[in-house]
Amino acid sequence: MKLAPQSVPYRTLQKVSGFVVVAFFVVNSNDWGLPAAAAAGGAILLVALAYEVAYYRRFAYDLTADTLDISSGVISRREREIPYRRIQNVDVSQSVIQRALGIAAVDLETAGGSSTEGSIRFVKPEEATRLRREVQRRKSGASAGEAGAVDGAADADRDAVEPAEEDLFAISPGELALVGALSFDGRLIGLMAFLGSGSVPVLSGFIPETSAVALTATAIVAVGGLFLVSWILGAGVAFSNYYGFRLSRAGDELRYERGLFRRYSGSIPTEKIQTLTITDNPAKRALGYASLSIETAGYAPGQSSDGGSQAAVPIATTDRVYRLAHEVESFGTPTFSRPPKRIRWRYVFRYAIAVAVLVGVAFAVDWYVTPDLPWYGPAVLLVAVLPAAHLKWKHRGYWLGDDHLLTRNGFWSRTVTVVPYYRIQTVIDSRTIFQRRWNVATIVADTAGSSSIAGTSAAAVDFEVDEAIELREALQERLQSALASHRDRRDRFEWFEGDLDDAVESDRGDDVAAVDTAGADDATDTESAEGTTEPGIADTAGTPDADRDPERSGIDADDADDADNRDDETSPEIPDNGVIRPDFATSERDYSEPAERIDTGEYAVDRFPSDADVARRGDERDEESDDETPDDELSDDPAETEEESDDDTAGDEK
Amino acid sequence: MTTQSLHPRIQVVWVLRAVIVAAVLSLPFVGAFYLDRLPRWAPVVAGGVVLALGVVHAVLKYRRWSYEIREDALYLDRGVVTQVRTTVPLVRIQHVDSRRGPVERSVGLASCVVYTAGSRGADVRIPGLTPDGASDLREELKRLAIRADGEDAV
Repeated sequence: MKLAPQSVPYRTLQKVSGFVVVAFFVVNSNDWGLPAAAAAGGAILLVALAYEVAYYRRFAYDLTADTLDISSGVISRREREIPYRRIQNVDVSQSVIQRALGIAAVDLETAGGSSTEGSIRFVKPEEATRLRREVQRRKSGASAGEAGAVDGAADADRDAVEPAEEDLFAISPGELALVGALSFDGRLIGLMAFLGSGSVPVLSGFIPETSAVALTATAIVAVGGLFLVSWILGAGVAFSNYYGFRLSRAGDELRYERGLFRRYSGSIPTEKIQTLTITDNPAKRALGYASLSIETAGYAPGQSSDGGSQAAVPIATTDRVYRLAHEVESFGTPTFSRPPKRIRWRYVFRYAIAVAVLVGVAFAVDWYVTPDLPWYGPAVLLVAVLPAAHLKWKHRGYWLGDDHLLTRNGFWSRTVTVVPYYRIQTVIDSRTIFQRRWNVATIVADTAGSSSIAGTSAAAVDFEVDEAIELREALQERLQSALASHRDRRDRFEWFEGDLDDAVESDRGDDVAAVDTAGADDATDTESAEGTTEPGIADTAGTPDADRDPERSGIDADDADDADNRDDETSPEIPDNGVIRPDFATSERDYSEPAERIDTGEYAVDRFPSDADVARRGDERDEESDDETPDDELSDDPAETEEESDDDTAGDEK
Repeated sequence: MTTQSLHPRIQVVWVLRAVIVAAVLSLPFVGAFYLDRLPRWAPVVAGGVVLALGVVHAVLKYRRWSYEIREDALYLDRGVVTQVRTTVPLVRIQHVDSRRGPVERSVGLASCVVYTAGSRGADVRIPGLTPDGASDLREELKRLAIRADGEDAV
């Protein structure tokens, strides 16, 4: 499919308009005059237009059964296939001009990578919506037949397939006003401070005769004005960002839309959610409000600068925020455990040192620039040190829920982070030299979310070392059990109609069987040695041996070229067929150390017995082994299949 | 696998690094000496102090560093000023590199880098391995990561 035709002039102007204006004025200011300037500008525009036309003609995207294919590029061409399952979220945005032109930008995010994986600029808004829904639909496992249907049919289909959309949150005018009022853009102050710091020595030369009091008064007024402007700016930005914010749930994805001038909309699959963050500050706490943000692994570092998570509920009453959070991740009612009380002294020292440094800086400025300013002013902050230390301690905490870790931090702006155990990437236990003096440690549960880049990853800070070690071990264990239960569920879903126990057992059995084949030529026990050296016996011996060691006898059957009637695909009704369901219970082997001998190639075969690859792989093996002795075949094979499965796994990963 | 420590020669790499840091840090003192602001001994003392700290740090770092592949995770214990213990579940491993920088090559060492999808511990580097050890470790981790089922990597 193609881009919208309007995107050609828009992209052209977007790229070169500034350049054209500059070129126009530069040439115009020379002696050549207006015609030359107009010609230069026109030439640049034409070249850019030609490029964009070529880009438009070259850019094509296509929704196939498993991937979204994008081919693009004028000079260097690029074909890209993004598997639907790997797409983290789909974002659609429209600026005012884009809305007037009737075009929208679509961004598809995958985990990892330094930039947006798929960026489609620009398509019609209806097409953007369709794209988003199609990606979602195909990802959630729509059948291949539907996916291949022509557009009209797909459209007709959609209403039937489309899950009902259920509103989770819509911002009210009052809340929007509150967002504006509580937003404060500190960047302007930072900028002014930066500029001001350079100009102070210069300015001080101009105003030596005014009294110190007048100077201080002016400074106070200026700072006050600066704060006011910052506040108004922040309010304006927040207002236009969150105007018309709406969060809804459709099937297994969350959808959001917001924005006054630039409209954002998009979808986040619930299964891709990494962490939830609930933030409040004293002002919000006093009014009983909080905000919620939803993190996925989709946004690359640096991209999160424009407000981080796209689907952040900017403000809502605290209990509503918790209700919303529970809708997304049901984590129960947290009861946080706090760090030891003595740790408050650590914070007292820390803040006291900060105040001392401030006083020092003020003194230096006073001594260097203008005398007689009250340089000891910042010392007033010492009063705030004790309450701040207490608050910091009070707001720290962690809680281990059934499926989630909750941590809480921050003395001013308080942040509660919800991390499902299943999403934990690494667990980091760190103790600085100061922490060691207090005998405390920090445990960080790192996730693939984007907010953690800004330093708000889930951390249990300053807990007793013993407690920290316990927490670390607990997180580790719970991650593993979460993984195991997740795997069970998936396996059962994939190829079992039976009950859970059945699935668990044969899952384990598969691993074991894989070990078995890999270790076949290790001669680690008599059974295996027998099977390797005399495959014929194993084969003809029939049922008893096959019962005990089904996987190997399956291979032996392959070797003997009579695999067809014993293959799992041709005769699935054989209950103890080795490839699918090895009879784990009757085996007498010692499986306690599977890691040492496992062969990944065979593992892949066992893991997806219904996969089309398996049959192919089996055939290959047959062909290869035609003129080889079974011994050679068995010893060669692991290496070969290992390579193969490496490729497969790599393909799955990305 | 029991707890592994690094190859002792890694201390050479770290001491070399300390020498470079010391040289860089004493440059301003040298400059000040040539401008007759500081006496002759100032740059020597500054460089010496930094170098001594660096050497002590390198030795302590070597003593502290250990790693271990346990049943379902890779454990690392390291850090002198800030002690860090990292647990990398094998399921979470995205890919593994073994690499050899120029300095490492000159002393016949290599390192192994383990990548996860996380944001903080996204890459974990195990330095001070023999070249064979590094590729063995890479292969071992790769094997374990594949066995641990990469579906769950993110």
